[in-house]
Amino acid sequence: MAIIETRDLTKHYFLGKKKTVIGLEKVNLQVNQGEIFGILGPNGSGKTTCLKLLLGILFPTAGEAYIMGKNPHDINMKQHVGFLPENPYYYDYLTGPELLRFYASLFSLETQTTNARIEQLLELVELHNAKKLHLRHYSKGMLERIGLAASLINDPEILILDEPTTGLDPIGCRDTRNLLLQLKQQGKTILLSSHFLSEVERVCDRIAIFHRGNLLALGTLDGLNKQYQATNLEDLFVKTISSFDNQEAAKTGDVT
Amino acid sequence: MKKMWLIGLNTFRESMRKKTLYIILIFALIVIGASKLFSFLTAEEELKMIKDVSFSAIEFFGALMAIFGSLYAISTEIERRTIYTLLTKPIRRSDFVLGKFFGVSMIVLINFILMTVFFIGLLFFKKSPPDLQVFKTLLLIFFELMLISGITLALGTFTSDAFNIICSFFLYIVGHLTSYGKELVERTENIIVRGLTDMLYTLVPNYENFNIRDKIVVGLNVSWGYVGWTILYGILYLCIALYIALYFFEKREI
Ligand SMILES: Nc1ncnc2c1ncn2[C@@H]1O[C@H](COP(=O)(O)OP(=O)(O)OP(=O)(O)O)[C@@H](O)[C@H]1O
Ligand SMILES: [Mg+2]
Repeated sequence: MAIIETRDLTKHYFLGKKKTVIGLEKVNLQVNQGEIFGILGPNGSGKTTCLKLLLGILFPTAGEAYIMGKNPHDINMKQHVGFLPENPYYYDYLTGPELLRFYASLFSLETQTTNARIEQLLELVELHNAKKLHLRHYSKGMLERIGLAASLINDPEILILDEPTTGLDPIGCRDTRNLLLQLKQQGKTILLSSHFLSEVERVCDRIAIFHRGNLLALGTLDGLNKQYQATNLEDLFVKTISSFDNQEAAKTGDVT
Repeated sequence: MKKMWLIGLNTFRESMRKKTLYIILIFALIVIGASKLFSFLTAEEELKMIKDVSFSAIEFFGALMAIFGSLYAISTEIERRTIYTLLTKPIRRSDFVLGKFFGVSMIVLINFILMTVFFIGLLFFKKSPPDLQVFKTLLLIFFELMLISGITLALGTFTSDAFNIICSFFLYIVGHLTSYGKELVERTENIIVRGLTDMLYTLVPNYENFNIRDKIVVGLNVSWGYVGWTILYGILYLCIALYIALYFFEKREI
């Protein structure tokens, strides 16, 4: 059974009278346990919207979302989920360890576990030399790193990452990639969104391509390449999106 | 329940480190301190002056802290998107809202205590230790500040910052004038005007109920009964405000 699932998940943003923006349109996704699943798509295609709906930050206009068979507002489910928002910002006046400790307390972790994990995670994201620094003095990449550490504080079964490598240097990107693969080996499920095709190509078991809120393609990279007669991910990306745009153009063309 | 505290403590810790509210506190202390500069008054008049100015300063600057503290408690979390990291943790939205209220209450309480200690120190310095009436006045001021925090917090769950500030100050001013307003209006014959003001009178919390300083300063006594009922009145309004906050925040998209 799928560990993350959406059924006809739809989100329309209502901006005043008669003005709506489509965030997501009838998306059916299934992420299996133990896989790394990548969501791709141009800017504004609905990736973040989809992740926010799954986590209960937004409420769907229609359709349903489930994580571990539970709805997005289930507190017990959230105990097992880690989340990294896009371009994360944290509490300016806390230090890295304080931030992690605060989040650990929200998961009701024991002090010993918390202490051990903070050390381990700071080591992992290489911020152990910045322990006394307030977060407002962090660089963009350091914030991304502390965010990654924060998303792992509860040793989650499911990790949801919105553009985890934006802002990281090449070494940080590689380290993150290795970390994700390592987590997968531990049996974790990872759902991520990304703009870095080469990275997605290297770590993801399956991918989904979003465009204007629609799910255009879903499957393994090889399967999709065959289906769309594409040579690589970039080719696939361009092909699916332009064919959708052409169809839409044809439709509106028919009407007028 | 415990998570609510954790969020409250974090709010408190952040605002203590941010130090913005200290500016208001310093102003308040200056005003309280300045009240003793009127040395041309007789000793008795001077004491009245100190009490009057100090009560007013504690109330006014406390209200500023309550309003700005509550305003920023929720809106900065949303603006800086730190709220995403909280709502995706195993906490209820109600833990978040009530936690924020507790955090702001702690901030207001600490500042209130600092101002009060300064004021009472001043009274001792003037060889006039505070009596029970002074404490009654302070107690009611504190409950008024709690109510102001609750109302700004509630407004913050469904309005913009700018609108919230305007509304909060509007309520603060109107809430202190309702008694006068009602007296004025009672003389008019116009039913619509009376109906409207009656409605306003019941909807807007009557902050003036919490104001007993005019009586205390001139040496009148206020009964514990009045203090008790007013506190109850404050708690009732506060519960309504928090209920509104929870109701709107439960459905809010961020
Ligand atoms: N709060 C909001 N109010 C109105 N419209 C919104 C809101 N959030 C997102 N949208 C719209 O929904 C669409 C999808 O946005 P979303 O943030 O999900 O895109 P994305 O795929 O994450 O883009 P990016 O790659 O730039 O992060 C966009 O057209 C965006 O303008
Ligand atoms: Mg996005």
